[in-house]
Amino acid sequence: MSAPLPKRIIKETERLQNEPVPGISAQPHDDNARYFDVMVEGPGGSCYEGGVFNLELFLPDDYPMCPPRIRFLTRIYHPNIDRLGRICLDVLKNNWSPALQIRTILLSIQALLGAPNPEDPLNEAVAKQWKENQSEAIETAREWTKLYAQKN
Amino acid sequence: MADLDERPHKKPRFFVEDSPAHEAPRRSHSASPSATSEKAPPPAQPADRSSPPTAGEQNGFDPETFRGFAGEDVSDSTIRILQNSCGNNLEQAINVYFDGSWKTTSSVPAQRSSIRTPLALGHSATAPDVKSASSERPSTETPKPSALTLSPPKRYIGALGVTAWTTRSGIGLVKPGDVVKIERTKQQVPQKGGKGRGGFRRTQDFVVRFTNTKGDEIGRLEKDSAAWISGLIDQRVCFFEGHCIYAPERVRTNDTVYLQLRCFLLKNVFDPGNFVKPLDSNRQTTFYEAQESTDERDLRLRQIGLVKLFSEINMQPSKANEMTVKHKREGLLQAAEIAEQYDAQKEKSTPADTPEGGSSPASEEAEDGEELEQDQLDTLYKKAQSFDFNTPEAQPADTFTMDLRKYQKQALHWMLNKETSQKQDHKEQSMHPLWEEYLWPTKDAEDKDLPSVVGQDCFYLNPYSGELSLDFPVQEQNCLGGILADEMGLGKTIEMMSLIHSHTSPEYQAAAKNNSIDAVSALPRLLNNSTAIEYAPATTLVVAPMSLLAQWASEAEKASKSGSMKIMLYYGNEKSANLQTLCCAANAASAPNIIITSYGTILSEYNAVANMSGNRGSHGGLFSLEYWRIILDEAHMVKNRQSKTARACYELAATHRWVLTGTPIVNRLEDLFSLVHFLRVEPWSNFSFWKTFITTPFEKGDFMRALDVVQTVLEPLVMRRTKDMKTPDGEALVPLPPRTIDIEKVQLSDPEREVYSHIFARAKRTFNSNVEAGTLMKSYTTIFAQILRLRQSCCHPILTRNKNMVADEEDAASAADIANGLADDMDLSALLERFDADNHEGDQDASRFGAHVLRQIQNDASMECPICSEEPMEDQAVTGCWHSACKKCLLDYIDHQASKGELPKCFNCREPINAHDVFEVVRHDDEEDEDFIMAESEGKSILKSLTNTEANDPEDDELYTSTQTPPTKTPRITLRRVNQLSSAKIAALLKHLKRLRKTSRTTKSVIFSQFTSFLDLLSPALTQENITFLRFDGTMTQKHRAKVLADFAQRPTFTVLLLSLRAGGVGLNLTCAQQVFMMDPWWSWAVEAQAVDRVHRMGQTMDVRVVRFVVEGSIEEKMLRVQERKKFLASSLGMMSEEEKKVQRLEDIRELLSE
Repeated sequence: MSAPLPKRIIKETERLQNEPVPGISAQPHDDNARYFDVMVEGPGGSCYEGGVFNLELFLPDDYPMCPPRIRFLTRIYHPNIDRLGRICLDVLKNNWSPALQIRTILLSIQALLGAPNPEDPLNEAVAKQWKENQSEAIETAREWTKLYAQKN
Repeated sequence: MADLDERPHKKPRFFVEDSPAHEAPRRSHSASPSATSEKAPPPAQPADRSSPPTAGEQNGFDPETFRGFAGEDVSDSTIRILQNSCGNNLEQAINVYFDGSWKTTSSVPAQRSSIRTPLALGHSATAPDVKSASSERPSTETPKPSALTLSPPKRYIGALGVTAWTTRSGIGLVKPGDVVKIERTKQQVPQKGGKGRGGFRRTQDFVVRFTNTKGDEIGRLEKDSAAWISGLIDQRVCFFEGHCIYAPERVRTNDTVYLQLRCFLLKNVFDPGNFVKPLDSNRQTTFYEAQESTDERDLRLRQIGLVKLFSEINMQPSKANEMTVKHKREGLLQAAEIAEQYDAQKEKSTPADTPEGGSSPASEEAEDGEELEQDQLDTLYKKAQSFDFNTPEAQPADTFTMDLRKYQKQALHWMLNKETSQKQDHKEQSMHPLWEEYLWPTKDAEDKDLPSVVGQDCFYLNPYSGELSLDFPVQEQNCLGGILADEMGLGKTIEMMSLIHSHTSPEYQAAAKNNSIDAVSALPRLLNNSTAIEYAPATTLVVAPMSLLAQWASEAEKASKSGSMKIMLYYGNEKSANLQTLCCAANAASAPNIIITSYGTILSEYNAVANMSGNRGSHGGLFSLEYWRIILDEAHMVKNRQSKTARACYELAATHRWVLTGTPIVNRLEDLFSLVHFLRVEPWSNFSFWKTFITTPFEKGDFMRALDVVQTVLEPLVMRRTKDMKTPDGEALVPLPPRTIDIEKVQLSDPEREVYSHIFARAKRTFNSNVEAGTLMKSYTTIFAQILRLRQSCCHPILTRNKNMVADEEDAASAADIANGLADDMDLSALLERFDADNHEGDQDASRFGAHVLRQIQNDASMECPICSEEPMEDQAVTGCWHSACKKCLLDYIDHQASKGELPKCFNCREPINAHDVFEVVRHDDEEDEDFIMAESEGKSILKSLTNTEANDPEDDELYTSTQTPPTKTPRITLRRVNQLSSAKIAALLKHLKRLRKTSRTTKSVIFSQFTSFLDLLSPALTQENITFLRFDGTMTQKHRAKVLADFAQRPTFTVLLLSLRAGGVGLNLTCAQQVFMMDPWWSWAVEAQAVDRVHRMGQTMDVRVVRFVVEGSIEEKMLRVQERKKFLASSLGMMSEEEKKVQRLEDIRELLSE
């Protein structure tokens, strides 16, 4: 990380701190400005409501040409998030655009929590459950949220 | 079965000695030719039946047989008369005898047939000297030579010696001094008009027999002489009288006998009606058929026969055309031989084979004849350019306002002469160049005087057609026009204008005179729409390529005293009502004097008339008139006689016909034919004539002879001067300011080089593999197409992908693409990706520029870049979907996606985008006024301006965006395409232009490229540099072209004109420019030079500088070398044969592909 931090990252970081998005926070590491500790609150009305999810976010060298790398640290029961916390989200993959930012990505993730998509699963088992017995799956998700995603 | 045409070898001696015995009865029944003609052909007969199945058919008319038929005792003298009058045709003689008409012909002296006294060999006889020959002289009545008043039925022309061989054996069959009859075997060719003639028999029946006076066959002539003698007998051209010179005492079969043949021309061959000219009219559709007709073949045999005969009897013309005499005989025979070979080839190959014998590559367009090499053309032109500087001059009429130079006045004199020559009496009748004059011999074979015929000391032979005549063949000058072939820039148009002014029809003069007195007659008269062609005595029709119409009109205007010429443009929508009414003789005074139209118009009206089943009159258009004069400008447009345009032009009617062209022959001798045919120059306008005397010898490789003949055609027809001609005082015809040509070497950038190398390697691979496979000539087109790509990649790599190739090359290239899979070449795709951009043209883009978009963009400018967050953006750029970012960010992102193999999409809306569709936003707030004005007059490009006034008329930007808004404080914004990867050549050009603009702000430049798609790429590059440019190419309408040319001439400021080599290669006058840039080399320098001459031509007052861009270490450099070597070759080598040409071409390619 000897190269000077691009203006874009500096600006994004500043903006994340100065104009924070409700329910979302992202804090760069002191020793690595490209590495962020992220916290996303489960959206209201969803089975993740009340949960606070920790994620890690890394901006690769060619950011913003490439999307940030991001994953859940907190365990979560979600058809589009696997056991390792990796997220299946189009804007993090093919639909990435440099016009997107950390802020918008995190908002997308929050939205994903509110609208799980079992048709495009990353976690097969969860997705199966979601499709076959949605209420049970939602119940499990609630339980997991309570179990793993409580604020300290 | 042995072919009896051939003399059998000595060894197998199986002939029965007395075989003729059982032939004899048969002969007496064979008086009727029709009866015998149905018999089986001789080859089907047993070998020993060597005597003729018929003898009495043509000659050998036996008095006894005749008496038998007549059934009464006919006196010898009567028989002699009959023999003479009927050419020894027994059948005819019988008819004549019974109908009594022989008595009326009996005044014809009979002595000719009674000369039975030969033995002296003809003075040119080639038979071996035989001592016994001349010793004996049978005494006969020696005719007293006296002048005859009528032509005898046959007239002696000479004697020759031939060898013959016997088909019988016996003692005293024939002895020296005997008169023998020369007879033909029955011809097997079916009756004329017979159906189902499936071509000719492969082996021609040439057998010529000689018989004793009783008609018994003794033997045959050797095949060599029989071959042509038979033709002459069959076609009743000659009568041969045989005299035995030497025969062995005891004759055995296959012994050699020497005969003297005395040859008489039969009277009827001189009858004009007797000669059937093959396919006399060009307009017959059969004319284009490849098959040689029976008539043509007969013609050929007759022609060969006569030429041979005249050479055998050593008959020398007493008068002949100098030019043709040199090569005549051997050439004619050669031509005949070639025709023979074609026959053979045709029979072997399928009927669908090419008419020219299948020798030319199929890829060529359907034109006749082979291409001429540059050096051959040079030779030809050099000959045609022997211009006499002392020819008289003529002064133009006083309505003509321009000053003519001396040579132009000479041209006027010549043209006036050509137009009026027929009106003068034939002061010096010159003989038709194809005819030869011969004196009738005054002594016969025995040196006795022959009777002369009153008024007939000589006769005439056309050795090209085999035509004979007793009348002097006048060189008909029925073409009241010609070819004005002055080199470009010498002022052909002006010369023509001076002619139009100076020679008007008498009808027009009369009408004009009346008109000045009686104003009422000036009122146009209505003409009942006549279906016939009307004479338009006042009108000269000028046919020119679209691009030159405006120029013609303006030059015509300039050259004429105001009001002296009514000029009318006739094309497209500007066609007025009924031309016929307008121009007919009754309205001569008010009719347009000049109608200027385009070849396209001619063609479309031609089609229209054709659809009206050829009713020209009621169409009322161009074809409804017979003009006073027609001028075809840039007449090489109709060089292909088979093209519809050419055919349409042939149909135009006029008293005087002119063609203007700087290149009467572009690359084929047939090019000239088309012009000559348009001019209706007899006999050259007949294609078979042309073919026999020009095409065939040329293809045979006898260039000099063909070109000599062409020379005779051209000489009276053509006036041609070149710019480098010097007057006797050493002055140039047209002093032009100097012209310097520099070659600028361009270095390719790395990515360009990669693409180049890729294509180069591929081309080389193709070449090498074809060398190995030995298929080089076959895959010439493929290789050629790849070289085309290579050349394009030197200009801009993206061109290699462009679909808008020069039309000529397109077919070849796409065909080759398929063959090579180049179209799916993934490697190349990857290389090109970086350059890739579909070349949308500006119109579409410009129309999408709404004012609000521009405003939006303007607003965006102050915002931060969505990609790098820079604020404001650095070099704001927008996508095709109008989303802004820094130029670099945008391009980086496109790159980034492309490198991952993804389709680049807009960062904002995810619309697919590409680098070419990225526009830079240029703010004009910090520019000098000067540049600002420049930018205002941008040409057809994507440029559009936004000022605080939004008065942008969308109609305005068809050609010029003219926002006449004065500079205000509000920054003006311009969008211009970002050329992500430009090309080295473009950069080099821009460097030159910028420097030029700095040093001389008023210089105008012309930029030529052979690739219009390259011009497409140049436009945005020029825009980017605020260089004012105009564009002229083949796709533009006439109006736009004219506007562009006018605009280019009138601009006071630095301006560039983009021209495609093709569209700009002809006719244009660009003398307002002083600088020429040639973006890419063409195969021959001549073509480039022609383009340069648009600028460096008459009227140019300044020094002209030419820069030729050539990519270093590329095929272009090698092309220069090839150009150079060709120049050198032209001077050092003579004509090249077809083989040599091929080798030469391959050498070129090899050189182009060498490392």
